[in-house]
Amino acid sequence: MRKIEKSVADAYFREKNMYILIYLAIWLGVSFGIVLFAESLQFTIFGGFPFHYFMGAQGSVITFIILLFVNAKVSDKIDAKYGIDDKANEVLSAGKTLDH
Amino acid sequence: MDNQFLVSLTLILITFGLYIGIAIYNKARQTSDFYVAGRGVPPIFNGMAIGADWMSAASFIGMAGTIMLLGYDGLAYIMGWTGGYLLLTFLLAPQLRKYGRYTVPEFIGDRFNSHTARVIAAICTIIISFTYSIGQLSGSGVVIGRLLEVDARIGTMIGVVLIAFYAAFGGMKGITWTQVAQYIILIIAYLVPVIFMSLQLTNNPLPWLSYGGIVSQLGELDRELGVSEYFAPFTNGTKWQFLALMFTLMAGTAGLPHVIVRFYTVSTMKAARWSGAWALLFIGLLYLSAPAYAAFSRFILMKQVAGSPIDQLPAWTQSWVNTGKLQVADTNGDGTLQWSELIIANDIVVMATPEIANLGVFVIGLVAAGAMAAALSTAGGLMIAISSSFAHDIYYRVMRPNATDKNRLMVGRVTIVTATVLAGLVALNPPGAITQIVAWAFALASGTFFPALLLGVWWKRANAQGVIAGMLVGLTVTLSYIFAAKYGGFTILGIIDTGAGVFGAAAAIISIVIVSLRTKAPSQKLQDEVVDLRYPEQMSYKDGNVWIDK
Repeated sequence: MRKIEKSVADAYFREKNMYILIYLAIWLGVSFGIVLFAESLQFTIFGGFPFHYFMGAQGSVITFIILLFVNAKVSDKIDAKYGIDDKANEVLSAGKTLDH
Repeated sequence: MDNQFLVSLTLILITFGLYIGIAIYNKARQTSDFYVAGRGVPPIFNGMAIGADWMSAASFIGMAGTIMLLGYDGLAYIMGWTGGYLLLTFLLAPQLRKYGRYTVPEFIGDRFNSHTARVIAAICTIIISFTYSIGQLSGSGVVIGRLLEVDARIGTMIGVVLIAFYAAFGGMKGITWTQVAQYIILIIAYLVPVIFMSLQLTNNPLPWLSYGGIVSQLGELDRELGVSEYFAPFTNGTKWQFLALMFTLMAGTAGLPHVIVRFYTVSTMKAARWSGAWALLFIGLLYLSAPAYAAFSRFILMKQVAGSPIDQLPAWTQSWVNTGKLQVADTNGDGTLQWSELIIANDIVVMATPEIANLGVFVIGLVAAGAMAAALSTAGGLMIAISSSFAHDIYYRVMRPNATDKNRLMVGRVTIVTATVLAGLVALNPPGAITQIVAWAFALASGTFFPALLLGVWWKRANAQGVIAGMLVGLTVTLSYIFAAKYGGFTILGIIDTGAGVFGAAAAIISIVIVSLRTKAPSQKLQDEVVDLRYPEQMSYKDGNVWIDK
């Protein structure tokens, strides 16, 4: 057990959550944002899709999937930067899920 | 007994045999290394298991049909049911994994240190999962009804027996690998017909790229008929209904007890993040294909079935008329079936499409097997959530803390059978289409668990009184709105029953904040535990400082 400087701990928290807020802003834009303006976004794009329809049926879902993978990757990088070792995490959390 | 029946039944029996085999094989191995350090399902497989747990009869059978009938407005289901994974993976799953409890009521009971909160959460779990399973049973009724060519209600009764048996005896432990197999079966069953249809209609094997053209042609066909275009937004409800439904499905996704449990089977917070990503990728495969399914079936129905003489309808129509889910009547008596004379229930579109597109007995049987996999895997997860809420959180943790293992298991099994039979009775006369019933379950989850979990994880000042008030208010508001909108015709901004979650969630969040602030703050220990959830396993928060384990 070693104490971490408060400034370092806060930086970790801030860095992680800043990214989450960015992802959530994009999430809001591609779902609620597009729907809010759906009537004026009816121009046709590739393959005959009207844009608003494409975003609802495919564009938003693809964006969501990408955001989740980006989050997983970026979070791993942040963890590594602050010296977190995933093997140690595994050992620490082992057995914490109770079996009922 | 015709050929089709034999092929479908054989495929269903083979896949069932596979699931049971996997369950038995894993059970024998898992008891020995259960407590070994580092045990955990790899995120990619856990992603598939979440996918199977998640993709229910509503996703598999109901969604494409809903989109076909609602056009653009049906896409709220696609965005809502996928977008919720962002809320879940960013804001809840890793933190709940670090807390390390087994069920959602257990998290709420321990986080707020309150038996009352635990019991209310357990009751909410039971209500949500029960509502959800009505949709599943009604879905398996459609599949079995078609298979045996009997009324869907008789199919539902057979489904009740199957699911009660499956969940009570097969599904108590080690279901992860069974669900991986179920995912693989259901996704193949979903993709094969839609790829074939894409080839038939557009000569392009990739439906995701080809159906845009079909969507714009559907718009033209609709203009000719003088109905509103397929892709025109907000023709079946207001824009506010669309947004409210989307929010309800997203927040509900983040609060569904049987899905959250799946994030406990991985080893760490990191694995929880990756599980969420893989899960949405696997779920996305089906969700990106559902609108293609919808567009293709509607196109075939409009071009090939509508306009044909009433006495020369294809053979498949008769078997669906027998299930009571399809109506063809020449109401204007001109001997031809018009588009407007064809009444097709949302819930049969996916099941009927392979027949409509003439894809052959094997594909039809495959779709039946996939639909059963979807209904069974989700019903299994739901029944386990119900039984663990009752047998573990209420019976063991509150009523009888010294109950034996055997006793608890027995209570769990009795709960499963009782719940399945009761849900089956309601499903005999389903109060709505599958996706609609399921949307109510999501509305209840977004009105109760989403606020409780969100604030429980991110706001250390939230206390027991607050969360108790929040869950009760959220539950009351959501339920009242559903009933008032469905049976009383009461709406705000045109938001109907399926969008009720937005009001429930808002009321619950406000109640938690106000009541918490007006009552005593939780103990320092509880507050420290909440702050601790913001850091990975190796970091811990104690006495105002963060420590790292080296």
